[in-house]
Amino acid sequence: MLDMFLQTFDTGNGFWNPIVWIVAFVVIFLIVVIIRGFGNKNYKKGTGQTKAFLSGNQEYEKTQMHVKASNLYWGWTESMKWVIDGLKKMHTGNVSDYVLWFVVVMGILLLCVGLI
Amino acid sequence: MNFMEIAQTGITIIIGAMALAVVGIVVGLLYKGIDRKIAAHMQGRIGPPLRQPFLDVRKLFVKENVIPENAITWVFNLAPITGLVATITILLYLPIGGFPALLDGIIVAKGDLILILYLLMIPSLAMVVGGFASGSPYATIGAQREMATMIAYEFPLAIIIISLSWRLSLVQGTTHVFSLSTITATPLWGIVGPLGFIGLVILLLTLVIVTPAELSKIPFDSPEAETEIAGGLLVEYSGRNLAMFYLTDGVKTLVMGTLIVALFFPYNLSPLLGLESYTAIIIDILFFLAKLFCVILFSVTLIRVSIARLKIDQIVYTYWVPLTLLGLVGLICLMWDQTIMTQFGMQSIANMLGLI
Repeated sequence: MLDMFLQTFDTGNGFWNPIVWIVAFVVIFLIVVIIRGFGNKNYKKGTGQTKAFLSGNQEYEKTQMHVKASNLYWGWTESMKWVIDGLKKMHTGNVSDYVLWFVVVMGILLLCVGLI
Repeated sequence: MNFMEIAQTGITIIIGAMALAVVGIVVGLLYKGIDRKIAAHMQGRIGPPLRQPFLDVRKLFVKENVIPENAITWVFNLAPITGLVATITILLYLPIGGFPALLDGIIVAKGDLILILYLLMIPSLAMVVGGFASGSPYATIGAQREMATMIAYEFPLAIIIISLSWRLSLVQGTTHVFSLSTITATPLWGIVGPLGFIGLVILLLTLVIVTPAELSKIPFDSPEAETEIAGGLLVEYSGRNLAMFYLTDGVKTLVMGTLIVALFFPYNLSPLLGLESYTAIIIDILFFLAKLFCVILFSVTLIRVSIARLKIDQIVYTYWVPLTLLGLVGLICLMWDQTIMTQFGMQSIANMLGLI
């Protein structure tokens, strides 16, 4: 039973042992907490020190100042705009277009399979 | 598995984890000092002394540990600790100083490259979580950028790992191709042909460019971008919490350097010089440190000194288009080296051209 519990998860290619990793994580966590404990834990609560740093700008409502969920992956969507716009154009909502795409892609795949 | 074996495994893990935590932090900070010194000289400055990172940590420990009023306190405090702990655990799976990975000798404790890929994400995720928990606009923008950067560099990194392991799987007698012990025992440079050699150089170059993004270094440091968003996801961190992120950066530099050494330069000097015992150990450790220095010099220092910061959309484009294509070219070179070069090797090509 214990052997099964401690066994390394092995797929034939990849493998790892979660139990050992968790034990190591806990040990190192304790070491890091001890190291962190040497640091100063004090600060002046309720003073300007605890206000968010905004380079002297006025603080607006939180909903206006934080990244919206729709912008969460902005850098990626901006950079891949050319791909996303192209994909959007393909999604016309017309079933005949989708069937055409299906036929074209199947044709290309069959050609590839045939060539290989 | 009997009680004695379990106890032995447990003690190895505990002592090994403690030793690696100390080694990881000390060596990581030392290389951070070397990186700063060399970068300063390249920019015509004298630069700080090598021990400056140690002094920085000491000073941060003395400073106040401010927790912003908008922050989610427990998440804000836990994120830097989690990042550092996860980074140190990666060292348990990496071969350091010419020795096999600490957990490699323990049958039940092994972990492979796929595990290392996932563990490498935890420090970045900890920074993202800490940034969002800060309750600061600058920090949330930084956290958002860090997420986009992570999505960007994981793609070429995965291509590199898959390419190396796939090529290794074609070598007769190899099992567990994602295992670092297999990869270090079977360096591909000596196995592949000329085309495969070019492929390996391309994959190495790709990994060298992935490294600064993993470490949030210039030109891929837009999540922090001091001059633009005042430190980004670290803007509200101070004192001992900031020191934890500082240490994470040092240890992660060591981790990435060691990973490149293990994947591409797993050679030791002692077998070549015919050395044994303590001399061999010392020489191998020194040789490992020298290799680590070269890798960090090329993948961190030279790149961050010579290139200006990219915008977040430029970072994503760089990784998803040119570098992904570069990685795929490396993979194709390895594939063709195995197929075309085997079927139509130099001899056959010379025959076809009528040279023989």
